[in-house]
Formats: sequence, C-alpha cells, structure tokens
Amino acid sequence: MGHSTIVTPTPQGGFQTHTVAHHFKTAEQEFQSAKLAFWLFLATEVMLFGGLFAAYIYFHDVYPETFQKGGALLDWKLGALNTGLLLTSSWTMAMGVRASQLSQRKPLVWWLVLTVICAAGFMVVKYIEYSTKYHHGIFAFTGLFSPDDHYAPDLMGLAYPQLYFNLYFTMTGIHGLHVLIGMIAIAWLIWRGAQGRFHSGWYTPVELVGLYWHVVDLIWIFLFPLLYLVP
Amino acid sequence: MAHGTDTSHGHGDTVVDHSHHAHVCSFQAFFGIYVVLLFLTFVTVAIAEPVSGLHLGSASMLVAMAVAAVKASLVMTVFMHLRWDTAMNNLAFLGSLIFLSLLFLFTLADHSTRQVADPIGGTPVDVKRFGEN
Repeated sequence: MGHSTIVTPTPQGGFQTHTVAHHFKTAEQEFQSAKLAFWLFLATEVMLFGGLFAAYIYFHDVYPETFQKGGALLDWKLGALNTGLLLTSSWTMAMGVRASQLSQRKPLVWWLVLTVICAAGFMVVKYIEYSTKYHHGIFAFTGLFSPDDHYAPDLMGLAYPQLYFNLYFTMTGIHGLHVLIGMIAIAWLIWRGAQGRFHSGWYTPVELVGLYWHVVDLIWIFLFPLLYLVP
Repeated sequence: MAHGTDTSHGHGDTVVDHSHHAHVCSFQAFFGIYVVLLFLTFVTVAIAEPVSGLHLGSASMLVAMAVAAVKASLVMTVFMHLRWDTAMNNLAFLGSLIFLSLLFLFTLADHSTRQVADPIGGTPVDVKRFGEN
C-alpha cells in the first residue's frame, strides 16, 4: 500500500470523501496527531490565562477590599446570564461534535448555529457591561480611569481600584477575543458542514474547534466567581 | 502498520481506511452533564456573599473555587471526552494544570512568607488611596 491513496469511509448522503495526507500511515494516526498538537495548544492557552489568574490571586491577597468593592460594581445577574449562555453553548457544541461523529449533516449545522447564537448573546451582554462601565468613567488604562462619584462612591479612599478593573478588562477582554475567534471558527464549520465535509469518516476540525470552545467555557467558569462574586 | 486498514473496499489503488473509531456519548449523558453544570452555577450564585449575604469568611472563595473545579472537571471529562481519550492527550492537558498549580503555589508562597523572609529590611509600602493627591 506504499503508493496507494488512503481515504476514510464516506457515508451515504452527499458527503465528501476525505483523503488521508500522504505522510500518515492510517486515518487514526492522522486524527491523533492533529489532536495531540491541539491539546498542546490548549495547554498554552491554560498558561496564558494562568498568568492572569496568578496576578489575580496575588493582588487579591494584598488588597482584598479593592477587589471586593470593585467586584460589587459588576452586575452579577449579567455575569450569571453569560455563564448560562456559555454553558449552553458548550453543550450544543458537544452535541455538534456528536452529530458529526454520527454523520448527521443537518443536526450538525443546527447545533453549531445554536452555539454561535449563544456566543453572540454572550458578546452582546459583554458589550452592554463594557459600555456601561465606560460611560461611568471606568475602563482599563490609567488615562481612561475617572469614575464618577455617583456611580462608584465606594471607590473613594480605596487602594488602587484601577488594579481590579485592569485585571477585569484584561481577563474578560482576552476571553472575549477568544469567543470572537471561536465564533469565526464555528461559522466556518457551519459552512463546510452544510457542504457535507464532516462525517463519521472525518470530522477532525469539528473535534478541534469543539475542544477550543470548551476551554473558552472552562476559563469563564473560573472568571465568573472570581470577578463577579468577590466575597 | 496498516492496522485496521481494510483493503477489500479498495478500488484500484485507493484504499479505504477504517482504523479511526471514536467514542460517541449519548444525548442523555450530555444533557445530564449540562443540567448538572447549570445547577452548580445556581449553587455558586446562591452561596456567594454579595448575593446571599452569607458570611463564610475565608472559606467563601475556597467553596466557590471548589464548585468551579467540579464544573471544570465535568466539562473536561465528558464534553471534551478526556475520559475516553488517549493517555498522551490526558498528559498534555492535565500536565498544564500541574504546572499551573506550581505557578499558583509559588506565587502564594512568595506573598505569605515575605515578612518572614525579610522582617526588618523591607520598607513599608505607602499605599496611595483613590481620591488622594
């Protein structure tokens, strides 16, 4: 079989045949290689956010009141709503991966559409939160930080309130960027999935984007209590 | 090395490779995990001091992080299929969590032992409070 073309099984129903890249011996080897590389990428994502979590742990220890009163200015109801939206999108994404494993073309597209809708809802809530803070003079970067007294009287006399909000905007900003990138990736999956590109014989991109999306959810699971529910 | 490769389906020099088999979760399993995740989010909010007014002291943050860790492990084992994944993939991802815990451990160790390590040499930090000039 040295020079033969290796393809994966293609189910009935207008699916496209996947040819295994010539440098792989089997479809399994191709799938596992892509997945191991992606898990390593996800490990770097954990370390990226890990540095920010370490900064949070340290400064929360030094200035607990700053974090408590800063966190009290966030609306925990909006944070809880966004947690629900991301958890829902994580479930629909898992169902999308399952649909691709079972060669269910239309269910794959619909589960992914639901995922993107939840992600868009998350970004809308995030936009509302950011713009409210911005209009009240609360934003990242020192030059843009001049909270109005009526909105945030508790910040007066507090040690370095910018510290909490710089962490808030940096952590949720980088996380929000990941949500946007994920939305683009899922939109691409919808487009290719509708063409019958993904099926039981080959669904590697669906699997990898799915893993990425779950990491975005994992990070938010920790961001929500740390930023919105500071005791 | 043509393990699992079924040449009987080949046409000409095209070989159909059936070697890839994946674990498929049931709808019930995924939905069950989803409901548990929503419930644990409700628990997180319900016991949080700013919402409930419960005073758990220093345990408050620990409880919140413990619930978050349970949620995260459910996402990792079931949604991300780590439970059925290869040892290598488990090592790649869980390894990052081990290094992350080292980062947190030494960050906390640094903070909690500063006074001990340098009892008189350190100059007290003059904390500038917001609104002061």
